[in-house]
Amino acid sequence: MHTGIQSPQGVWWKPVRGGEKLWVGIAFAWCLVLFAMMPLWHLRGGQNPSGIRSKVDPQAFMARTQEFIRTYQVGTENGIPVVEPPPGSDIYLMGMMWSWQPVLRLRKGAQYTLHLSSFDVNHGFSLLPFNINFQVVPGYDYGLRITPTEAGDFRIVCNEFCGIGHHLMIGRVIVVDESEPAAAGASSGAAIGGGNL
Amino acid sequence: MAKEGLPPGIVNPPRPLPEKAGESPEEHRTPGTLVLVLVFLAAFVVYYFVNWKLLSFVWRVG
Amino acid sequence: MSADFRTCPTTGLKVHAQADRLIKANAVVGVVALLIGGIAALLLLLTRWQVVHLLPADWFYRLLTVHGMNMLIFFILFFEMAILYFASAVLLNSRVAAPRLAWFSFWLMVAGALVVEWTMFTGRADVLFTSYVPLRATPWFYLGVILFAVGALLVVAIFFATLIVAKKERTYTGSIPLVTFGAATAAIIAVITLGHGAAIYIPTFLWSLGIGNVDAQIYRLVWWGLGHSSQQINVAAMVAVWYLLGALTVGSVVINEKISRIAFTLYVLFISMAAAHHLLVDPGLPPTWKVWNTSYAMYLAVLASMIHGFTVPAGIELGQRLRGYTKGLFEWLRRAPWGDPGFSALIFSIIIFGFVGGITGVTFGTEQINIIAHNTLRVPGHFHATVVAGTTLAFMGLTYYVIPLIFRKKVAFWPLARIQPYLFAAGMLIFSVAMTFAGTFGVPRRHYDISFAQAPFDFQFSPAVDLVMTAMAIGGLLAITGGAIYIAITVWSVFFGKPLEAEVKA
Repeated sequence: MHTGIQSPQGVWWKPVRGGEKLWVGIAFAWCLVLFAMMPLWHLRGGQNPSGIRSKVDPQAFMARTQEFIRTYQVGTENGIPVVEPPPGSDIYLMGMMWSWQPVLRLRKGAQYTLHLSSFDVNHGFSLLPFNINFQVVPGYDYGLRITPTEAGDFRIVCNEFCGIGHHLMIGRVIVVDESEPAAAGASSGAAIGGGNL
Repeated sequence: MAKEGLPPGIVNPPRPLPEKAGESPEEHRTPGTLVLVLVFLAAFVVYYFVNWKLLSFVWRVG
Repeated sequence: MSADFRTCPTTGLKVHAQADRLIKANAVVGVVALLIGGIAALLLLLTRWQVVHLLPADWFYRLLTVHGMNMLIFFILFFEMAILYFASAVLLNSRVAAPRLAWFSFWLMVAGALVVEWTMFTGRADVLFTSYVPLRATPWFYLGVILFAVGALLVVAIFFATLIVAKKERTYTGSIPLVTFGAATAAIIAVITLGHGAAIYIPTFLWSLGIGNVDAQIYRLVWWGLGHSSQQINVAAMVAVWYLLGALTVGSVVINEKISRIAFTLYVLFISMAAAHHLLVDPGLPPTWKVWNTSYAMYLAVLASMIHGFTVPAGIELGQRLRGYTKGLFEWLRRAPWGDPGFSALIFSIIIFGFVGGITGVTFGTEQINIIAHNTLRVPGHFHATVVAGTTLAFMGLTYYVIPLIFRKKVAFWPLARIQPYLFAAGMLIFSVAMTFAGTFGVPRRHYDISFAQAPFDFQFSPAVDLVMTAMAIGGLLAITGGAIYIAITVWSVFFGKPLEAEVKA
């Protein structure tokens, strides 16, 4: 036998043997499993990044978000409007240097279509402490059907570098129980502790 | 043996093998490596499916 | 002609004087870039470790750009250029084709790198490594990258020309060695990569001058054709170095030339578009596109790495067994030269690349799982295991052979050199695992302040995060110590090292 720095002489196209053959077979089978899980999760799983995708002009998205805020605003917090849209509705969240507009008040167990886009540069939607992450790209509307499964006070951190104020960009999502009355107004909650994962 | 400042592979290079060595089925065996890669595969399978499980805990999204 | 060659007393290879000089120049510049990137790494680490929180925000992001460019582009590509010269001219006993063009390319790359360094350090390019449009840097930044890429492309062309020269001048018999074949696949991937680079940096350069427009999503799509494929150059080059180090340290054999070469070819065929796994939670692309381009239904590039993960250790095992280490399952491993930094670096590179980098990478690159991984610390946790503990550590191990074989010097501070791979590997292992854990709690990557001290809303991570971030800092400091030792050894050996005895000219 020879090493990898020696030129093989003659024909080196030889049959695979023993343990190597077995391993190539096992590894290939595993690779097929890795592939199959993705379509399978689309059919059976509850978390997929598919969404309703379309191009949108940043100005138009800004206008839509402002219309959304005007319609459902219930308060203001730290200068950011708080909105409480009805369950089942289309909701808008816009990333801009360096804030998330608006603060959302959602209902546990209800489905919403969350439209994500950016007014300026790329941002990263990261819902904490759940750790749900999506890329927010200017010029594109990412419409994700979401169902909050837990009540609580959550944060949206920006996890795509967007300039010098990147680390100041933090938004808020409040999820209330089905039983709670509507438009209670946004109360400033204490910090939430603990990772869920 | 190892001269200061020189890797053993240079001071005392591995003995070259005849081209015929290791070709017979009795010699051509690597059982230790097979054990190691199976440990690797087990770790891979566990980590991969643990992550699917973690994913299933978050909000429904689609 | 023959006066231009020397015969290596260790390997018997005929080494062209120009190959010698080009390898030295590229390796030295690579180590300088590693030093710059390493200093940045230390400062970044001491900032992300919230207990110290050293830098102000603007310098944090600036040095993050510096760290990315120096490590992922300048260090690694200069080193890979050296490997290309070694795998073509040296391993094939050939002269370097077009040495004057080779020097021109070298200086072009140096010039491009210097322009980029200048724009970054003067705050004209605070856009991070990925420079996602519409974040805007000075046109000089994009121009510097383009110059560097053109230089690298020319070196790749010289590599292929050298293969042709060697074949024509019959400097070797039979087929090219496996290591050269692996380097050739790295070179082919480099062409694909640099093609994507041109396709995105030229329009972006024009856009920065105010000419035309670049769509933010299209930028991400094409840029990752560069950004990811360039990591695949590293993987192919690293695997070639695995086979090389195995041969040099323990005389490991090639179990089956066919399988190893097919695996290298799979990298070329199935990786270029796999940039898709950076775009799994992007709005511009449909799920069918994402699923297909992540895997091509079969994950054949993953298969390739799993094959090499078998054939490299199996080659070591068989080589050792044939030299008499036949007892039990693992005598071949126990009795291996663990005091040889080339060997220990090789083994740790394989283990951390596979167990940490490989497993996490494939898992996060799964369409849906990416939802709980994208842009968190899990991502840099993954790629520090692949490109630092994997590729860089393998290159470090190789350096301990390059110093005597090419620079003809003794390795300085030998006792330190023997432990350097252990220190670096342990540090990187702790660092990358801790980073991956922190990401599991949603800690964002590329983030100055996860205490959100000045932000409009407060947020407190789980107390466990403090613990893992401390572990990350300890691991990082260990690895940086290992890296500093490596640079000290390299620089001292090359410039002040004891020369080896004079040898016979060919």
